[in-house]
Amino acid sequence: MRISACIKRVPITGGRILLTEDARAINTQHLGFTMSPHEECGVEEAVRLIEANKGDSVVLTLGPPEAVEQLRDAMALGVDRGIHLQTDGREWDGEATATALVDAIRADEADHGRFDIIFFGNESADSGGFQVGIRVAYALGRACVTGLKKVTLQGASVRCEQEVEAGRDVYVVPLPAVLTVKEGLNLPRYPSVPGRMRARSKPVSVVTPIRPDPRLELVSLAVPAGQGRRAESLGSGAAAAPAVVELLRKAGVL
Amino acid sequence: MNIAQATALALALAVAGTLFGRRAWTLYRLLRSGKPAARFDDVRARARAEATVVVGQSKLLQRLLPGLMHAAIFWGFLVLFPTIVIAMTGAVDPRSTLPWLGAQGWYALLVDVFALLVLIGVITALVIRKVQRPARFKGSHLGEADLILALIAGIVTTLLLWHASQIALRLNDYPAPWAPISESLSHVVAPAAPVLERVAVWAHVLIILSFLVYLPYSKHLHILVAAFNVYFGRTRSPGRIEPIDFERPEAEVRFGSARASDMTWKQMLDTMSCTECGRCQDVCPAYATGKALSPKLLIMAMRDQLLSGASTPIVPNAVSDDIVWDCVTCGACVRECPVGIEHIDHVIDLRRNLVMVESRFPEEAGTMLRDVDRTSNPWGKPQAERVQWAEGLGVRVLQPGERAPEVLFWVGCAPAFDERARKAAISTAKLMQMAGVDFAILGPREGCTGDPARRMGDEYTFQRLAGENVATLNGAAVKKIVTTCPHCFNTLGNEYSDFGGTYEVVHHTQFLADLVHEGKLAPMPSEQTITYHDSCYLARHNDVRAAPRELVSAVGQAIEMPRNRERTFCCGAGGARMWMEEKRGRPINQERVREAVATGAETLAVACPFCTVMLDDGMRETGAKMQVFDLATLLAEAVERRRALAT
Amino acid sequence: MSVLILTDGSDASRQALTLARRFGDPVHAVHMDAVAPFAPDSLAAILQQVADELNAAAVFAAGTDRGNEVMARLAARAGLPLAANCVAVTPGAPAALTRLRWGGSLLEEARLHSPRPLITVAPHTVSIEEGPEPIDVDVARFVEELDERDLLVRASDHVAPQDGGVSLTTAKVIVSGGRGVGSKEGFAIIEELAGLLGAAVGCSRAVTSAGWRPHSDQVGQTGTKVAPEVYIACGISGATQHMAGLKGAKRILAINSDPQAPLMLNADYTVTGDLKEVVPAITAEIRKRT
Repeated sequence: MRISACIKRVPITGGRILLTEDARAINTQHLGFTMSPHEECGVEEAVRLIEANKGDSVVLTLGPPEAVEQLRDAMALGVDRGIHLQTDGREWDGEATATALVDAIRADEADHGRFDIIFFGNESADSGGFQVGIRVAYALGRACVTGLKKVTLQGASVRCEQEVEAGRDVYVVPLPAVLTVKEGLNLPRYPSVPGRMRARSKPVSVVTPIRPDPRLELVSLAVPAGQGRRAESLGSGAAAAPAVVELLRKAGVL
Repeated sequence: MNIAQATALALALAVAGTLFGRRAWTLYRLLRSGKPAARFDDVRARARAEATVVVGQSKLLQRLLPGLMHAAIFWGFLVLFPTIVIAMTGAVDPRSTLPWLGAQGWYALLVDVFALLVLIGVITALVIRKVQRPARFKGSHLGEADLILALIAGIVTTLLLWHASQIALRLNDYPAPWAPISESLSHVVAPAAPVLERVAVWAHVLIILSFLVYLPYSKHLHILVAAFNVYFGRTRSPGRIEPIDFERPEAEVRFGSARASDMTWKQMLDTMSCTECGRCQDVCPAYATGKALSPKLLIMAMRDQLLSGASTPIVPNAVSDDIVWDCVTCGACVRECPVGIEHIDHVIDLRRNLVMVESRFPEEAGTMLRDVDRTSNPWGKPQAERVQWAEGLGVRVLQPGERAPEVLFWVGCAPAFDERARKAAISTAKLMQMAGVDFAILGPREGCTGDPARRMGDEYTFQRLAGENVATLNGAAVKKIVTTCPHCFNTLGNEYSDFGGTYEVVHHTQFLADLVHEGKLAPMPSEQTITYHDSCYLARHNDVRAAPRELVSAVGQAIEMPRNRERTFCCGAGGARMWMEEKRGRPINQERVREAVATGAETLAVACPFCTVMLDDGMRETGAKMQVFDLATLLAEAVERRRALAT
Repeated sequence: MSVLILTDGSDASRQALTLARRFGDPVHAVHMDAVAPFAPDSLAAILQQVADELNAAAVFAAGTDRGNEVMARLAARAGLPLAANCVAVTPGAPAALTRLRWGGSLLEEARLHSPRPLITVAPHTVSIEEGPEPIDVDVARFVEELDERDLLVRASDHVAPQDGGVSLTTAKVIVSGGRGVGSKEGFAIIEELAGLLGAAVGCSRAVTSAGWRPHSDQVGQTGTKVAPEVYIACGISGATQHMAGLKGAKRILAINSDPQAPLMLNADYTVTGDLKEVVPAITAEIRKRT
C-alpha cells in the first residue's frame, strides 16, 4: 500500500497578526511554525493506514527551505520519506501549487508505484483557498472527497464520512483516491523521541520547481478593523450577572 | 580449644558465609549491571556528607526521639562490632579473646554502655511502633521490622549475659570493674553461669550469623548499602537533574527507565537502601492530599521489581501511571531521607520513558509540550507578546548586537502570559529602575527555559530550548541574570551549565534584599502581618531562605507557618503539575492555603509566579480573605509608603 | 454580460448574489439540489456547460463547504483560477477583489487574472442588498446527460448525529469554554448555564487538545463556524483560530479575568472576572428571575 500526504508550513499566529512593512506578508519574526491542523490529521491517518496495511508513506510540501522542519515533524510521526518542493519564500497560488505537486507525485509514482490515497487538508490555515487537493485529484484523474471526519478502507474502495449540518454524509469511492480531511478525523500522536531522532536521517528529496506568475495575485494584506464590536463592559465579577441577564433578555434568548 | 566447638563454628561460618555471600554477590552483580551514573567526583563533599549524615546521623536526628533511638542502635552497632569477633573467639575457646582490645577496660565500659543504649533504643523503637503507631509506617513491612528488633535485642542481651557469665566464671581477665552492667548481672547469673556462658555465646554467634544471612533478603540491607548510598549522593545542587546524552547512537541513548534493568546503579542502590521508615511519605504533599503517590511505596515497588528479576515494564506493572504524574518534584522526600535516596530521579526517569518513548502522559500536558516546542512558551502564545507586560514602563529591550546590560532581567513565561503573575515583574522592574540598576529584558528573544518540559520528562525538547537560550545569552555576552521565577532561577543557575551556559544567577528576592541593604531602596515597614510561603525551588532545591525573610521584615510583621523554610509545603505547581489536573484527593494548593490562613496573618507573601497563581486560586476556592502578593510588590508598596511620607 | 450563480437559497447565497450583480446582469442561477443526492463533480460539470452556453462573465457561489467544493471542481475541470471567500469584488481585467485569510483575521487584496472569474463569497461578511432575482436555468437536459465519472463521488448514505444535544450550527445561544475553565470537570458550570438557556456547549481548540471535550464541540477555523444570536465565551483568550469561527455571531459576550485578552478587545460585551464566579452568578440570576 502507498499513501502520501501533502502539508504546508504556516506560522502560529496567536491573537494578533503583525504584517511586514510592505504589507505583503505576515511578520513571522519570533513566531513558531507548524503544519496546518487539518493536515496533521491527514499525516496521522496516513501513518495509521500504513501501520495497519504495510507499505510506505511519503510526505510532500511546497515551501521555503525551512519547510523541511514540517517534513521532519511528519516523518517523526512515522512517514517514511519526504519530498520538498523548495521555493524561494515567495507565495504560490493554489493553482500553481497543485501543478507543481502533480509533477512531483507523477515522478514519484513512476519510480515507486501509484499512491492508493493522497491526503490533503481541507484548506490551509493561512490562504484558505480550498482547492489544491481537488485540483491535484482532477489532474491525476482520481476521485476526490472533501471535508472528511472518518476514513475506512474497504478493499479496493474507501468509505468516507463528510460532516454536514445534521450528521455526516457517506461517500464510497474506488482507489486510487484523493481525500481532503478536517481536524477531528483522529487525534495525532505525540511523536516519540526515537521517532524524531530517526526522522532526522530519513530521506528527503528536493526539487526546485519554477514559479509561474500567479493568476490569483496577492497585492497586499491588511488586518481587518474588527467587525465594529464595541467591547462594552458590563461590569466585573459576579456583580455583572444582572447586566448579563438583561442582555440575554433583550436579545430574545431568555 | 575445643575441637567440636571450633568445627561447629567453622561450619556455621561456612554456611552463613555462603548464604550471605551468594546473595551479596547477586546484589553486587545487579548493581554492576545498572546503567552508568557519574558520582565519583568531588570526593571531599562526599566525605563530608558521609561524616554528617551517616556517622553524625544528622538527617535522622531531625526527628529527635526516633533519631536518638536509631543513633543509639547505630553507634552501638559501630562500637559493638569488634565484640562479634570476640564472641566467635570466645565460642571456640572461652578463655581467649581479641588481643589488646579484649582486655581494655575502657572498651568494656563502652560495650556495656552501648549494649544498654541499644536495648533502650530497641524498646523505644517498639514503643514508637506499637504504642505511638506513626502514620508513616502505613504500607511498610512491620513484621520484618519487629523481627529485626527482636534479633537486635537478642544480640545485645546475649552479649550482656555472656559477659556476665564470663565474669562470674572468671574465665579470663575480662575487666569487670569497667563493666558495671555486666558485673552486676554476673551476680544474678552466677548459679547458672557454666551453662549460661556457653548458651549465651553460642546464641549470640548464631543470632548474629542468622542476622547476617537475613540481612540481604530484608530491608535491613540498608546496613550494608546506606553508607554507600549517602556517599554517592548528588553533590551539586539538588535542583539539578542529570542530562541525557542524545548525541550517542540511538541504540545507546538511555531514555529514562522502562524496566528495572534500565535503572542506573545509583538508583538500584537507592532501592536497596530503603528502610521503609516513611519519613518521605510523611512530608509528601501528594500523599498528604490523598493522591496515589507515596515516595516510600514508590521506592519499595521499584525495589521489589528490581529484586524479583522481572523484565516487565515498571509502569503500569509495579507503579501506576497516576503515581508517576502525582509528583510535584518539591524535594521534601529527598530532604527527609536518612539514607540518601533520591526519589525525584526515579520519578523523572520513569517520566522520561513514558513521554519520550511511549508518548503516554496526561493529555492536557501534551498540549503544553506541543506549545512549548512550537512557540517556545507553555501557553502557546506568540513570543511577540512577551513585551506587553512592560508597556509604558520604559524598560530596555536588549536588541541583537547591543551591549549587554550589567544585569539581565529574565522575566520568565508566567509574567508575560498570565496576567496574575504580571504584577511581580512590573514591581521588580520599577524597583530596579528606582535603584538605578542597569538592566534590560530579552523580550521576544527570551524562550521558555524548558523547566516544565524537563520535569515532565521531555528531555529532548528541554535540551533544544536550553541550547537556543544559551546561544542567545552567550551571544549577548550576558554575565549576571536576575529572575522572579524560582524555576527559571534553578534551571538557569544550576542546569544550563551542562549546556555551555554559565552565568551568575540571582533570585529577585536576593537582588532586592541586597538593594535594600545597600540603601538603594528604602522601604518603610507597616503594621500588616505577613506570612511568607517558601517556594520549593528556592528554599529546598537552592537554600534561598534568608533573603526573602529580610524583605518580609522590611515591609511588615512576620508570622511563620508551621511548615516553613526547608520544611515548606509545596503549592502544587511543581513537576509540571501546573499544566495537569488534580484528579484525586484534595487540592494541594488549598491545603497550603489553610495553613497560611491559620496563622492569622493578613497577607500571604510569595516569591514565585506559580505559587502566586496556585495560592491565589486556593484563596478563592476556599473563600479565604487573605491577600496574596509577591515580595516585590510588597516591597514596592513599602518604598512608596516612605516616599509618600517624605512629600 | 450574464453572470452565473450556484445557489442553495440560504442567506449566504443571497450575500453571494449581492456581489454577483456587480459583475453583470442578468444573473442566472443553478440550484445546489439540481443533482440529488449531492454529487459535486456533476454540479461542476453542469455549471461549466451552463457558463459556456451563457458565455457568463463570472461564476459565483457562497463560500460554504459545499459551495467552495463545487467551485473548486469547476475551476479544476475548466482550468481556471478560483478566488475563495471573497468579501468585495470589482469587475475588470484583471478583476480586483478582497478575500479572507486566516479564517477572516486577515484581509487580502488580490487581482484575479481570468477570462471567467470564479468567486465564492465568505458567509456573514456581505450585507444582503435587494435587487433583481436570478433567472433559474433549466438544467434538466444537462442532468440527463451526466457522465458516469461525474457521478462517482456522490453521497450514498447518511449518518445521524450522535447525541441529541443542541447543535452548534443551529443554536441560538452558545456557551463556550476555553483554557480558563481549567479542567474537564470545570465545564459543569458551563453545561449548567447552557442547559438553562437551551444553548449548545462549545469550546476552544486548547480544550479539545487537552482532551476535556470532543472535537465536535470545537468552535473555530478548524472546528465549527457558528452564527448564534449570542455567543458567550468563558475563559477564552481569542486566538485568530477561534475568532475565525465567530464571524456569524450576532453578539459576543466575553468573560475573562484578563481584560487585555484578544477576545475581550473584539467582543461586543465584556465581563472582567473569574468565570468560576461569574458563570454561576449568571446562572443564579437567571433562576432568580424565572
